[in-house]
Amino acid sequence: MEIFLELVLTGIMVGSIYALVALGWTLIYKCSGVLNLAMGELTLLGAYVCLAFYTWGFPFPAALGATLIIGFLLGLLTERLFLRRMIGEPVLSVVMVTVGLSFFFRAVVGFLWGTDTRVFDPPVFPREPFRLGQMVFGQVYLWSFVAAVVLLVVFVAFFERTRWGLAMKATADDEMAALSLGVSAKRVYALAWAIAFMAAGVGGTLLGNINGLNISVGTLGILVLPAVVLGGLNSIPGAIVGGIAIGVLQNLSGGYLERFTAGGVKEIAPFVFMVILLLFRPYGLWGWVKIERV
Amino acid sequence: MAYLPCGVYHERYRQEHAWWQTRFVRAKMGLLAALLLVFPLTTNPYLVSVANIVGYTILSALGVQLLIGVCGQITLGHAAFIAVGGYATAIGMLQYGLPYPVSLLVGAVLAGLWSVLFGLPSARVKGFYLIMTTMAAQFVTVDFIITQYVSRIGGRGHYFSLPPGTVTIGPWVIDSDLKAYYLMIALVVGSIAALANLLRTRVGRAWVAIRDNDIAAQTMGVNIVRYKLLAFFVAGVLGGIAGAFWISSLYFVSPEHFTLGWSLWLVGVVLIGGIGSLQGVVFGSLFVTLTLEALGFAVSGLRDLFPTLPDKFLYVKEGAFGLAIVFFLLYEPRGLAYRWQQMKNYFNLWPFAY
Repeated sequence: MEIFLELVLTGIMVGSIYALVALGWTLIYKCSGVLNLAMGELTLLGAYVCLAFYTWGFPFPAALGATLIIGFLLGLLTERLFLRRMIGEPVLSVVMVTVGLSFFFRAVVGFLWGTDTRVFDPPVFPREPFRLGQMVFGQVYLWSFVAAVVLLVVFVAFFERTRWGLAMKATADDEMAALSLGVSAKRVYALAWAIAFMAAGVGGTLLGNINGLNISVGTLGILVLPAVVLGGLNSIPGAIVGGIAIGVLQNLSGGYLERFTAGGVKEIAPFVFMVILLLFRPYGLWGWVKIERV
Repeated sequence: MAYLPCGVYHERYRQEHAWWQTRFVRAKMGLLAALLLVFPLTTNPYLVSVANIVGYTILSALGVQLLIGVCGQITLGHAAFIAVGGYATAIGMLQYGLPYPVSLLVGAVLAGLWSVLFGLPSARVKGFYLIMTTMAAQFVTVDFIITQYVSRIGGRGHYFSLPPGTVTIGPWVIDSDLKAYYLMIALVVGSIAALANLLRTRVGRAWVAIRDNDIAAQTMGVNIVRYKLLAFFVAGVLGGIAGAFWISSLYFVSPEHFTLGWSLWLVGVVLIGGIGSLQGVVFGSLFVTLTLEALGFAVSGLRDLFPTLPDKFLYVKEGAFGLAIVFFLLYEPRGLAYRWQQMKNYFNLWPFAY
């Protein structure tokens, strides 16, 4: 029982990071209809930028802040240069532009930082494990969880409480009506990409703190896809719940199914789950039922 | 749309259906065939090996073109079916001692059936959701089943290595790039001819109808589930052939040859060449492979200025490929095949503009 609880709690903590990245994904999809396959590479890029600042001697919060700023600028730039022209194009073209960008970003990361696993040195979070009754967690999980939750709250508050958030919600709901009320759709798209880059950057930094940072953090970022499919592509609460659920599912399958197989279940369990889900409920938990039908 | 020159009159339906309708075109094709046969004898081994890579890319991308360009089913997991073909061929030869042509056929059919299995969701989902299921096919097949289970058959470690001289067709031993080249030419020409003819039949027209509007196709009486699965089967068979050829030219397979990156790469090749065109597959493969080889030379030329650059060539290559996809989609969305048609039309119509 303790093992079960430990797995679930760790899953929730890792899942909160997925939730953060999934939130960025959903935001882009909701506002501009772009299906982004480059999310993994965005997490990778953000994580390495933060690592670079950290190794130059910035304190961790400052490095994270710098990552957020750079992510914001890169998001604006990417949207302006590549994605704005693709709005309204067929699914394949848009997806492949993001695939092209993912090749490019991964190449940039590999070119600048190489393939060796890097760690945040000195460690950002204390090494002593954290105890709760009989259960033991790494402190890094706990702090990542706290950071992810804080950011999730900030982003949700941004949508609910600010003028810009309202503009984004309006555009997502009905672009034409929003335009006629004086909302600039271009700025909304740009902002959505900037926020997605920022969320992915923080998510990548947290993931990099858990296991060390190498190019495979990018494949962890692909896990947001099952998460958003579970939540329904265009639902922000769905993205958060989906991210956490995928984290739990992954940890449980790693804990219980690994012994029956030769290994590697942890990596593919979310995808198998996603295929089964797609067969029975393609619109996820809270997605619009009519979405993606012609 | 290609224009016929003045003064060509068809007297029989047969002539009108012919692939090559004028003597000029037939001569051109004969010249091309002669060039393809003579080419490896006149150049150095390096170019022959590059040609083999081009051929492998063409064989791999044909299935992607069929699914995406002809039938409209977006797939991002085609490397999985190539892997199934490659591994089935290798296992057939190593474990069961089958001759190469037989295990090639077995591998191709197995890859086709495996592809149908992952095509089943296409009966219910499309667009982005289908992208997700095909991506899942990639992870389940290559990263799980092949890496964890299939690789361990026979206890050979992580990759299957074929002893030299085992890849034989009858008495013909394929043990050099040159011989693999001729096998490649036979497979590529055969596959393209088969697919091109298939696309002119009832089946091909049904696929195009599904691509253009599946609901309309269904109301016209096309059984869309059956034809979608057929498209997945044929694409899988083509992928399996590609995998089997990979063995004959490299003598070993490893899961690392069939990553998600390779699946995405193939879709990129198809986009650069031109969606929905078989010529596009050839142009795309040639363009991507040759450009990247040229880039390799350019990078090794810069060795004196930037000593670490050649070590990082892999990243330069991937970055350049990523940017190429993006720029083609932004500025030449119909790909190289369309540009080629435009050029041909320009010369056909000269001195008039249209």
